[in-house]
Amino acid sequence: MRGVSVGIERLKVAYGPVTAVNDVSLDIAPGEFLALLGPSGSGKTTILMTLAGFEHPSAGRILIGSDDVTTRPTNQRNIGMVFQRYSLFPHMSVRDNVAFPLKMRGVAKAERARLAEAALAKVRLAEFAGRMPAQLSGGQQQRVALARAIVYEPRVLLMDEPLSALDKNLREEMQLEILRLKEQLGITVVFVTHDQQEALTMADRVAVLSNGQLQQLGSPRDLYEAPANRFVAGFVGEMNFLEVGVLRSGGDGAAVRLPGGAEAVLPQGQIAGSPSGAQAVLAVRPERLVPVADGGVPVAVEQVVYSGATVLLVARSDDGTEIRARIGTHAGLAPLARGDRIRLGWAPEAARLFA
Amino acid sequence: MSRLARWFRGGRYLSPGAGTLLLLPFALVMALAFVYPLFDLLSQGLFAPKFTTVHYQRVFDQPVYLRILWRTLMTAVSVTVLCLILGFPVAYLLARLQGFKAAVVAACILLPLWSSVLVRTYAWVVMLRREGLVNSGLQSLGLIDAPLKLLYTEGAVLIAMAHVLLPFVVLPIYGTLKNIPPDYERAALVMGARRFQVFREVVLPLSMPGVASGSLMVFLTAIGFYVTPALIGGPQQMMISTLISQQVRELLNWPFASALVGVMLVVVLGIAAVFNRAIGIDRLTGGKA
Repeated sequence: MRGVSVGIERLKVAYGPVTAVNDVSLDIAPGEFLALLGPSGSGKTTILMTLAGFEHPSAGRILIGSDDVTTRPTNQRNIGMVFQRYSLFPHMSVRDNVAFPLKMRGVAKAERARLAEAALAKVRLAEFAGRMPAQLSGGQQQRVALARAIVYEPRVLLMDEPLSALDKNLREEMQLEILRLKEQLGITVVFVTHDQQEALTMADRVAVLSNGQLQQLGSPRDLYEAPANRFVAGFVGEMNFLEVGVLRSGGDGAAVRLPGGAEAVLPQGQIAGSPSGAQAVLAVRPERLVPVADGGVPVAVEQVVYSGATVLLVARSDDGTEIRARIGTHAGLAPLARGDRIRLGWAPEAARLFA
Repeated sequence: MSRLARWFRGGRYLSPGAGTLLLLPFALVMALAFVYPLFDLLSQGLFAPKFTTVHYQRVFDQPVYLRILWRTLMTAVSVTVLCLILGFPVAYLLARLQGFKAAVVAACILLPLWSSVLVRTYAWVVMLRREGLVNSGLQSLGLIDAPLKLLYTEGAVLIAMAHVLLPFVVLPIYGTLKNIPPDYERAALVMGARRFQVFREVVLPLSMPGVASGSLMVFLTAIGFYVTPALIGGPQQMMISTLISQQVRELLNWPFASALVGVMLVVVLGIAAVFNRAIGIDRLTGGKA
């Protein structure tokens, strides 16, 4: 089984005056695992529903392989789908559930049973074929749903927050299960999630969406280390934002005035947009902050939380901004207490400036 | 009943005393107005004043009574089937509609429930009589020359009874359909099912508990129906309740009426037990969505 490419071209989905998805284009490579990440209402589920054919685009095209499927009915798209929950038919045995898509394709009964058992073996549930879905745990049910979605060797597998109804341990187990299957089958996967950790650990590339618009498309490392805008910077991982005054900006970078008066310089590659005004926002990850003797931002420590490998400092700058720092336990940090005043600094390449 | 026991026994929601107190008015009315008269009536058929089975024998000896009993059952079956055919699409539509449209359709189903059976039956008399709406309509369209005999026919009885009983099949089916998560239908479509296959393989089986309880409601009510068959049917459409009423009011033959009631009661309880078993089994296999 080999995956095919999926193309979303200038997709727009509108319900009357409400635009759920606005001008989104995505090119998904054959065999790629793409996550659609965003808060609720961002349009990620709408995109998936449009790929499945449950929603209809107001503009734009959907391509699966080289076929334009924009107007093709759901049942002729030959895609697999795993839903959030409630997707196994409760009146059919596990075997009949997995054999259902084959039955719809007119496969003979004996062959259906054989293929269904083989698919169940792939998710390591072969011995549960005779049970009813209600007799399985939530994780087992989702694995059956997975088997049912791949049994007919679809070209693309769509997953709509398939793990959100499971508890944490099961979720991690299922993440590995899905990745293992994807490797084994080479199938293209489009995966919707609101859990950024899930998106970062599972996907080859992540599309971050907000308000129906694509904010950034990139590898997990791109998103984390080089967020394209303030939304992505704040949505993916932890981030500190500081209001800064722009002193000068040009071809070789920018200089800004930090809260507390110190100056900081940013190389050109660390600047998103063109900071033309006097004010901009500087973003630094908590794990990139270190106590410094001078420069940086003076803060008052409010909380010190020891958590094994790192110490979390919750501090507040003089202009009232909360700043979090995660500092390695063995970084030689002097013991700190609530009320201590320190300066937090960072390496020049660790910060990003957003206009 | 088992659910009631669960509620009241442990006192999880109500103390046993409060439970009893709440049940008392209903239990009193049931005892005085239903249980006592029923047993009084049934005893008249068996003790006159000494134990006798002569009245029950008469029910089975004379073919005319068995024929009426059979006709009653067959009419009830036909009405149930008719209600299912007419009611299922309505329930399906109602379960898919939202907001104002759903309210309008629901009102169309519920409003007739709030008007009397007598009124609804007389409406059919007005529609179906020789110079009624149907005949005059067909005549003015030139489809028929002379008025058809519509009233006092079996068809008229079936249609009028189905109309009166329709809400009792629509509501439970609507309930089960409404509880089927939309993802089931979507999952079936993604897996390649055509619309009709989605209905046959997923929607219909999952709506069976509603179909069964709706059918039972309509069937049992239809068996005991009096007003509609009496007003719209002719002597050829006589049903058992009309026969019982005749025995009591015109012939004053209480013991024989009692025997008819007794036979009917056994038949109805038997059918209810079979249905209940069927629904119960369906529940076990995951019929409730």
